Amino acid sequence: MRNLLNFFIRYSTWFVFVFYVVLSCVLLFQKNPYQHHVYLTSANTVASGVYDVTSNITGYINLRDINEDLQRRNAMLESEVIALRNRNRQLRQSIMQDSLRQLDSIGGFEFIIASVINNSVIKPYNYITIDKGKADGLAPEMGVMDQNGVVGVVNVVSDHHARIISLLNPHFRLSCKLRGNDAFGSLVWDGKKPTEALLEELPKQVKFRHGDTIITSGYSAMFPEGIPVGIIDGSTRGEDDNFNTLRIKLLTDFTTLSTVKVISNRDIVDIRQAEAGTAN
Amino acid sequence: MTKEIIRFFILFVILVLSQVVVFNHFCLFGVAIPLVFVYFIIKLPITLGTNWVLTFSFLLGLAIDLFSNTQGMNALACTLTGIIRLPVLRLYAPRQDDITNPVPSVGSLGAVVFMKYAATIITLYCLLFFVIEAFAFFDIMRLLMRAAGSALLTFVIIIAFDGFTSRR
Repeated sequence: MRNLLNFFIRYSTWFVFVFYVVLSCVLLFQKNPYQHHVYLTSANTVASGVYDVTSNITGYINLRDINEDLQRRNAMLESEVIALRNRNRQLRQSIMQDSLRQLDSIGGFEFIIASVINNSVIKPYNYITIDKGKADGLAPEMGVMDQNGVVGVVNVVSDHHARIISLLNPHFRLSCKLRGNDAFGSLVWDGKKPTEALLEELPKQVKFRHGDTIITSGYSAMFPEGIPVGIIDGSTRGEDDNFNTLRIKLLTDFTTLSTVKVISNRDIVDIRQAEAGTAN
Repeated sequence: MTKEIIRFFILFVILVLSQVVVFNHFCLFGVAIPLVFVYFIIKLPITLGTNWVLTFSFLLGLAIDLFSNTQGMNALACTLTGIIRLPVLRLYAPRQDDITNPVPSVGSLGAVVFMKYAATIITLYCLLFFVIEAFAFFDIMRLLMRAAGSALLTFVIIIAFDGFTSRR
């Protein structure tokens, strides 16, 4: 017994080393970001506190670009509102009702506005930290978008902050389709440039053109149908005989993300129950 | 003795904060990321027991991981670097010299030896880190370019920082 103890004490360095390596490997091999504990991510109190302070200070740097982007978007929305108002008026006259039923796609969704306090585009797996959390109504697996397109999905939530799996993260696959066509495929980031991603599993018989828009297909509870994601940019790489792989230029500019909207779907509990097979 | 401990603690905090707030967002030519917190491992006193060196390296890596959402990668690379630190130093510095100042620096080891030691530790760390990072994502050219670029950038920043802070 004493010999064993002496052995441990003499070779204590190796035991300490092996212990730390095993501990790091345990952390490392939890590959799936859906299982991370909130304390080990940037949503924990210390990390998010530091990022809050620094983003307050550096927030001014991108303001001019964000301003121009918002003005452009504003103008587009205003003209769309005018067109919709006209259409409403015509429809109301033709149906002779006082109110119209809300479009299903937009009806059940609410938006929670949040600011980005930490972002990265250069790592192989990128995450975003925002300054809204459980107390503001966020929950894991809510979709996140900004004024240009899809940003990611909420992953880990603490009381006042949350971590989002960015679209620039190969763990996140988004179900997308071509605008005007119902065929759908999976959008996934290939790790190379922060402005491009690949749309895979698109059936070979679907006709597409350079410059076509890719939108969300609505086949997930996270995003309603019709949110623009990117534009088809260039050649296909047919790896599989039955499916096409397209290179997509993303509409969201991940390098200047500042304000995002978290999509809260009121029907999400219902949908998840049905998918899990436990609904009655 | 406690003054040294306080100095090292402040160095730890400054390095982690500057890495997380400033240097994590640098990306030269799309490949090189400076990893300046390796300076802490380079600067640990030679007379410090290996158990403590390993513990501090692991804590350093864990702190960086907490901020950067890179679960465990930095912790593993820092622990491995911590254990090969002393053999690397023994390789470059003759045994008797460093009794005067246990903290490695340009003053205590001489410029050439310190630079060789720092460069080896930094290159080894960058190689380890990017290999660990690439476990799921294997593209050897990009890996080598990232490791080499980051090692070079980190080396330049660390030598400059050391020139400012260490006493002659």
